[in-house]
Amino acid sequence: MDLEQLRKTAAEVVVREDVKYLIGWKQGSYGYRVAPVFVEDASGAAELLFSPLCTANLATYLTLVEKTPLPRGQEADKRKVALLVKGCDSRAVTQLIVEHGINRDQVIVVGCPCPGVVDTEKLAEKYPEQGKPAEVEWNGENFVLLCDDKETELPRDQFLAEKCRLCRHPNPVISDITVGEPVEPWTLADDNGVEEIEGKNLEERQAYWEEQFSKCIRCYSCRNVCPLCYCQDCILDRLNPTWVNRAVNFSENTAFNIARAFHLAGRCIECGECERVCPANIPLGKLNRKMAREVRDKYGFEPGVDPEAEPFQASFKPDDPEDFIL
Amino acid sequence: MSENYEPNIVAFLCNWCSYAGADLAGTSRVHYPANIQVIRVMCSGRVNPLYVMNALQQGADGVLISGCHPGDCHYMEGNFYARRRMGMLKDLMEFVGVDPKRFHMSWVSASEGHKWKEVVEKTVEEAREAGPFEGFRRRQIDW
Amino acid sequence: MSAMLLNKEKWPEFIGKLTGKNLWAPKLEGEAMRFAPVAEDEVPELTDGNTRIPPKNIVFPQTETMYRFQLGDFEMKEPELKEEMILLGIRPCDARAMVIVDKLFSWDVDDPYYLKRRELVTLVGLACSEPGLNCFCTSLGGGPASTEGLDLLMVDLGDSYLLETITPKGEALVSEVSELLIEADTEKIKMKKKMVSESEGKIKRSVDHKGIPEGLPGLWEDPLWKSVSASCLGCGTCTYLCPTCHCFDIQDETEGFEARRCRMWDSCMFEEYTLHTSGHNPRPTRRERTRNRINHKYNYYVDKFDVIACVGCGRCINLCPVNIDIVEILRQVKEAL
Ligand code: SF4
Ligand code: SF4
Ligand code: SF4
Ligand code: SF4
Ligand code: SF4
Repeated sequence: MDLEQLRKTAAEVVVREDVKYLIGWKQGSYGYRVAPVFVEDASGAAELLFSPLCTANLATYLTLVEKTPLPRGQEADKRKVALLVKGCDSRAVTQLIVEHGINRDQVIVVGCPCPGVVDTEKLAEKYPEQGKPAEVEWNGENFVLLCDDKETELPRDQFLAEKCRLCRHPNPVISDITVGEPVEPWTLADDNGVEEIEGKNLEERQAYWEEQFSKCIRCYSCRNVCPLCYCQDCILDRLNPTWVNRAVNFSENTAFNIARAFHLAGRCIECGECERVCPANIPLGKLNRKMAREVRDKYGFEPGVDPEAEPFQASFKPDDPEDFIL
Repeated sequence: MSENYEPNIVAFLCNWCSYAGADLAGTSRVHYPANIQVIRVMCSGRVNPLYVMNALQQGADGVLISGCHPGDCHYMEGNFYARRRMGMLKDLMEFVGVDPKRFHMSWVSASEGHKWKEVVEKTVEEAREAGPFEGFRRRQIDW
Repeated sequence: MSAMLLNKEKWPEFIGKLTGKNLWAPKLEGEAMRFAPVAEDEVPELTDGNTRIPPKNIVFPQTETMYRFQLGDFEMKEPELKEEMILLGIRPCDARAMVIVDKLFSWDVDDPYYLKRRELVTLVGLACSEPGLNCFCTSLGGGPASTEGLDLLMVDLGDSYLLETITPKGEALVSEVSELLIEADTEKIKMKKKMVSESEGKIKRSVDHKGIPEGLPGLWEDPLWKSVSASCLGCGTCTYLCPTCHCFDIQDETEGFEARRCRMWDSCMFEEYTLHTSGHNPRPTRRERTRNRINHKYNYYVDKFDVIACVGCGRCINLCPVNIDIVEILRQVKEAL
C-alpha cells in the first residue's frame, strides 16, 4: 500500500468545498491498536494509515452521527462525508444505500483494495503488545511486524483474520476514488464454524449457545459498532412495550442475540466487527455466517453488493422456499 | 415428561383467512385439541420474530403462525414477507438449539375448517413430542 | 497483621479447604477471564493478568432483585442475602475500587443490598507480578501490592505464596488453614519487597492528575471533548467493565402474575441514560457523555468523596473497540489546563 498516495488523495478530498470531513484510520495509542480518525483539513491527512491493523469498519460512523436540534435560523451542514473503505466496509456502504440509510450523493467512498487484515488477538498472543505502537505491513503473501527495529514475518495462514479467510469481496464493490491496485481474490477457507455447530445435536447446540449467551453482559458494543444496526429507536432500548427485559440472564440475552442476528439476516455483510468488539468473546460471527449462508443458498441473495438491489427482508420472490409450511 | 403433559401453543392467526378458518372449524363443530391459545393479528406479515421469542420466553411450548394462502393475502403480499422471515427464523432457532417441532407455519383459508384441525393436531402432536420447553424460558432462570 | 507462608505444593489442599465455602476465582472462558465459582474438585491456577470482567458484579450484580410481589397484592418479599463467599485472586486495584464505591453506597442512604454483599465477601487479593500493559494504579494511590480493601493479600514468591492478613476476616480465613502454613521469615519478607518494587517498575503508563479535579470545570466547553469522543461508539464497554462505575437503572418486570423490582447496571455512555420523557436529552451527543464519564471520575467524585473514582486498572483502555484511551484523554486535559 502506498501511504503517500493515500494521504495525498485524502488531502485533495478534504479540502474540497463540499466535504465535511474524511473518516480514516490512524495509529493508535499503543500496541496493535488503530484508531478511527476524522480528518478535517489537509494537514490532518498526514496521520492517515492503511495497514493490516485497520480492522475497524468505518462505515458505522455514517449513521452514528447524532444530530442536535439546530438553533433557529441555522442551516444544517449538508456537506458530504468522505470515508476510507476496505472491501467489506464498502459492502456496508452499499447496503446502507440499498436501505436508504444514507444517500449515495452524501458520501465519497475512497476505496482501498484489501489484501486481508490480521487477527490482532492472535497476534498479541504470539507477540505480546508493547506500550509503543507497533506497525504491521503487507509483504507479498504474508504480513510483517515492525517493532523495535525488528522485522518479523507473520505467515498469512496463521494471522489472517477469520472474516478475511471467508471474504468474497476484498476489492471495494463501490468506490468513487480507488487508492492502490485491485487485489486478486483468494480461495475461501472452507471451515466457517457453522457446520461444526450444525453437526451437533439439538441438546448440544442448546448447551453450546446457553454457555455463550450466558456470558453476554449486554454492553451492546456489537450493536453500536455494526454499520447496519442503526435504528433510531432500537427495540432493545424500548420500554413500552418491553420486548427484551433489561435483566441480564440467559433468557433475555438469548432473546436479544436472536433478535440481533435475525434483524441482520440478509443485511449483515460479514465485516466481523461485532465479534471483534465483544468483550465476552461470544462467537457472533457464527450466527451471522449461518444466516448469510441460508440467505445465499436458499434465497440466492447476497447483501451489500448491488446498490440497486431490494432489501432482502422487505422483499420476496413468489417461489421462496416453503417446504416448512404445513 | 409426565403422562398428562399438555403442550401450550400460542398461535398467531391472520384476521382474514386463518382466524376465519379457525372460527369456521368452531361453528362447524370440528373437534381439535384445546392446547391452542389464539392471538389474532391483522396479517401473518405483521408477526414480528420477537412475538415468537416472547411467547417461548413466557411459557409457550410451541408457536404456530398461520396466514392466507400465497396470492390470497388481504394485503396482497403480507404472507410472502412472513414466509421469508419465518423461514429464516426457523433456521436460526434450530441453529441455537430450539427444537423445530416447536415452531410451525401454515396457510389456512377462511373455508378450510378441516385443514385448521389438521394443522392444530400436527402442531400439538409435535410439540408434545418435543416436551415442555425449558430452553431460554424466563422462569427457567433464577428469576 | 501477620505474614504466613504457603508452599505451592500444598495449593490443592489449601483450595480443598475453601471450596466448600462458596469460593470464587478467576476462570478463563475462551479468551476472556472472569470470576466464577470453583467446583468441589477443581483447583484453580492463578495466572498473570487481571480478569477482563471486573469482580464488581459480586457485590453489585448486573441484575439484582430488590423484591418480588404478586400483582394485586401488597406483600413484598425481599431476597435474603446470607451466603458468605470468598473471592480468591482479586487484584489490588479491584479491591481498592470496592472501597471507593462503598462511599457512594453508604452515602445518604445505606444501600442494603450492596452493603450486605460487601459484608459477606472475603477478599483474598493477589499481588501483581506482571502488571498489564495499561495498568496505571500507581498513579492513583494504589499499587501492585496495595492492601486497601483486601482482607488477605497473597504474594507469589515462586515456590510459595506469602499470605499477609489485613483484617479480622482475613485472619479468620488463615486460622482455618493454619496447619498448611508456616511462619514467614524476614528473608521472605525481603523477597516480597523486591518483587513488589520490580513489579512497580514494570508499570509503564501513568497519569499526572494533579490539578485535574480542580481544572476540569474550566474545560467544560474545551474543543478537546469533541476530538477525543469523535470516534466513540457509545457502547457500554468502558463503563460496564470499569470496577468503579456503579450507575444503575431500576425496572419492574412481570411474568404472569408474578413481578419483581430489580436494578441493573446502566451506563452513562448510552443515549437513553439521560433521555427525558419529553424527548429532550441534556447530554445529546457522545461528546457530552464522554465529558461526563471523565468528569464523574476525576471531578464530581473527588468533590463529594475526596477520592478519584478510577483505580487505573486499564480495562477501559484494553477493551474500547476504537482505542479511546483514558490516559491519553487525561494527558490532553492536563495540557489544556
Ligand atoms: S458485544 Fe458481546 S457482550 Fe456486548 S452485548 Fe454484544 S454479545 Fe453481549
Ligand atoms: S452484524 Fe457484525 S459482521 Fe454483520 S455487518 Fe454488523 S458488525 Fe459486521
Ligand atoms: S468503550 Fe470506547 S467506544 Fe465504547 S463507549 Fe466507551 S469510549 Fe466509547
Ligand atoms: S476508568 Fe478505566 S482505568 Fe479507571 S478504573 Fe475504570 S476501567 Fe479502570
Ligand atoms: S492496575 Fe495495578 S493492581 Fe490492577 S492489575 Fe494492574 S498492576 Fe495489578
